[in-house]
Amino acid sequence: MIEKIKALKGQGKPVIGCFPLYPPLELFHSLGLNPVVLWRLKGEGGQTGESDRHLQNYTCSVARHMTEFLLSEESGAFLDGIFMYNACDTLRNMPEIIEGGLETAGRSVPFFNIHIPMVPPAQTDGDEYLKNEVNRLIEELEACFDRKFDSVAFQNSVAQFKRLRMLYLQAEAAVANGGIGFREFAGVFRKAAGMPVEQQQGILEPLLSQYAENSKNQDKAGIILSGILPPPDAMVEAMESSGLRIVGNDIAALHRSYADMPQPGAEPAAYYRDFYFNHYPCPTLLYSGDRRVQALLERCQQTGAKGVVFIGEKFCEYEYFEFPYLEKKLGGQGVQTLLLELAVDDEDHSAAHGARIEAFAEMLSTS
Amino acid sequence: MSEANKTDAGRHLSKIMQNAYMDLHTRAKEGAFVVWIAINVPAELFYGFENLVYAVPESHAAMNAGKGVGAVQCEKAERIGYSMDLCSYARIDIGCAADGGRDSPSFGLPKPNLLVSNNNNCSLLVKWFDVHHREMGVPHFIIDVPFCYGPQKEKDRNYIIRQFYDLIQTIEDLSGQRFDWDKARQALDYTNRGIVHWKRFLSHARHRPSGITAFDSFVQMAPFLIMRGTPEFEAHYKLLADETEQRVKAGDFPVPDERYRLFWDNIAPWHQLRDMSSNLADSGANIIGATYTSCIGTVEGSFDMYPYDGRDPMRYLARTQNCYICPHGMGLRRRAMRQAVETLGIDGIVFASNRSCKPYSVTQMDQQKFMSEHLGIPSVMVDVDHADVRKYSKESTFTRLEALLEMIDAKRAA
Ligand code: SF4
Ligand code: SF4
Repeated sequence: MIEKIKALKGQGKPVIGCFPLYPPLELFHSLGLNPVVLWRLKGEGGQTGESDRHLQNYTCSVARHMTEFLLSEESGAFLDGIFMYNACDTLRNMPEIIEGGLETAGRSVPFFNIHIPMVPPAQTDGDEYLKNEVNRLIEELEACFDRKFDSVAFQNSVAQFKRLRMLYLQAEAAVANGGIGFREFAGVFRKAAGMPVEQQQGILEPLLSQYAENSKNQDKAGIILSGILPPPDAMVEAMESSGLRIVGNDIAALHRSYADMPQPGAEPAAYYRDFYFNHYPCPTLLYSGDRRVQALLERCQQTGAKGVVFIGEKFCEYEYFEFPYLEKKLGGQGVQTLLLELAVDDEDHSAAHGARIEAFAEMLSTS
Repeated sequence: MSEANKTDAGRHLSKIMQNAYMDLHTRAKEGAFVVWIAINVPAELFYGFENLVYAVPESHAAMNAGKGVGAVQCEKAERIGYSMDLCSYARIDIGCAADGGRDSPSFGLPKPNLLVSNNNNCSLLVKWFDVHHREMGVPHFIIDVPFCYGPQKEKDRNYIIRQFYDLIQTIEDLSGQRFDWDKARQALDYTNRGIVHWKRFLSHARHRPSGITAFDSFVQMAPFLIMRGTPEFEAHYKLLADETEQRVKAGDFPVPDERYRLFWDNIAPWHQLRDMSSNLADSGANIIGATYTSCIGTVEGSFDMYPYDGRDPMRYLARTQNCYICPHGMGLRRRAMRQAVETLGIDGIVFASNRSCKPYSVTQMDQQKFMSEHLGIPSVMVDVDHADVRKYSKESTFTRLEALLEMIDAKRAA
């Protein structure tokens, strides 16, 4: 990621590090800024030594690696701003921890923060509140980076991101019908992440033009992966070599991020109203809870998945509160489930999950 | 503690708590509309309805933990798939509800007609209430309170107020009852007057030796959680403050040879109150205050009371949504803690790092550093789970507490 951020800096546009996973990317882009979603930063800043000075070891790996990244001299120094919207109980404390850490290191980066209403739209109308938040953000960005919001540029940015989302969905369809392996797909995603939207398109397009439908593995049991981040390659390999075929995902960094196509428009508040309130359900968007189970069941039906593998991000309460109920509901529809937990330093040891994956694959093949 | 050893306020507390839970079950059985709420949902509004009772799962979970059945209830939740890493209050409540209230000192809670969560103390509570929403098929109203890094903003207050109006409307629609503003206002008056007494009670910690221990205040918080808005609430805290005042006047102190005045940061370790307080007292140490109890009736950044001015109840209730510690950021927490440390003459701080409560605990490492570097206050961090005794080590906690007392001695000697 750090190399990509350096490359972005080389383009002369300010770089905004964003978290969590669903920031208003189109808006940043339209203002001539380069937004980078800060996810899966393990390895970027080395270990977690810096983060360990600020966060207890019972916070999730996402928060710990992100803190490490932002506070490390190497990586954090290349950001021109940090954006955050309200998310979980760990992340909401991040701005002050990061600002304090930077201050100690004699650095400072402007922080931008908005609150996404977490009320279910049918219960309370959060439109006005969101509109004010989006407009405030625009004003702050304009003032900080000496830009002027332009609705034509915004529409253009919206179109670019829509195109990117469509490409991801096409790639995902190719994964479902066996033309692209999940590992390859996740690899492309990793490669594209952090690049400007136009370059991301440039990476996905050739992949899609090359793939051919592959009926070879159709007899293998199809599964969906669910979680915050895609699992490490070793784990995907263990699944595939156990006879499982990953036919779809319900991963926050992947499908949940690009699954929806908000109504294009020139007015950011209206656009983001649609973007957030009709977003593909995610446990981090509290108001989407009632749509969550149905969405996952539909994913299974659409892809013919016989199982769902939950990649549990250790200490992520949002995800963990849902697993028992989802397991029950999916089980009721004949969909088997497996929960694999990943902690901060588990990535390299994920082969240890091999036995459970094999047993799961065997169960699916006989069910 | 045996009944005979209890103070009058202690005996009165047992009585009113027992009555409150009995009343809750009885009225629910007789057809009252039952609401389960997060602790800082504005309970006073519920008194605007004729036939409504509310239960507080967090407080019920704390009671289970205090009575020694926290781990038993947690295990029930774990057996049905809830991770041991989840907040122990949530596990106690989910486990207890799944088992029909068995093992609970109050026989569990009556089945709700409505769940009202609030994401200001923590967002996970919304997920926790979603578990009941899904399992029981009960509507779930989510109050969304923007986290604050500075004083509450007008835009946020208005947004919260709008949600309170929607809550009233929702209850009217679901229960068929009409909301009465005068009754809600009266409830708020009771709460306000009760908190004045609560603050009076806490102020006796300023005395040397302190007139109270934080352990007393932890136990005495219960009415604040489940009885706000009632005359009993006001009467109880008056009794507590008056009795404490008399004891101080009479020279009756919980730790008479007090040599170390300590401050606690985090939720009470419900399963350890007696053990911890008596062991500390043996060393001449008293935890005389806590962020957890000091924040009651305040707003972000200060432990001073924020009084109700008798005007618009919605504005007051929305304004105080940021009381407690978890709904606001580190700078504000720091300011309030500094104030407490200075007014109470604190010698050392115990940061209880609580893996069950991230919203309280994340920032503690930076807070500890600040208190040491800027105020020169010795402190330690101990690992405590507020309600799951299985995640607590007495040995390591006391080793650190002893180290804290040594640090204080060293500082004095320097
Ligand atoms: S993985 Fe979960 S706990 Fe971690 S930052 Fe994301 S939402 Fe928060
Ligand atoms: S996480 Fe903390 S604030 Fe939230 S319910 Fe648990 S104890 Fe309370």
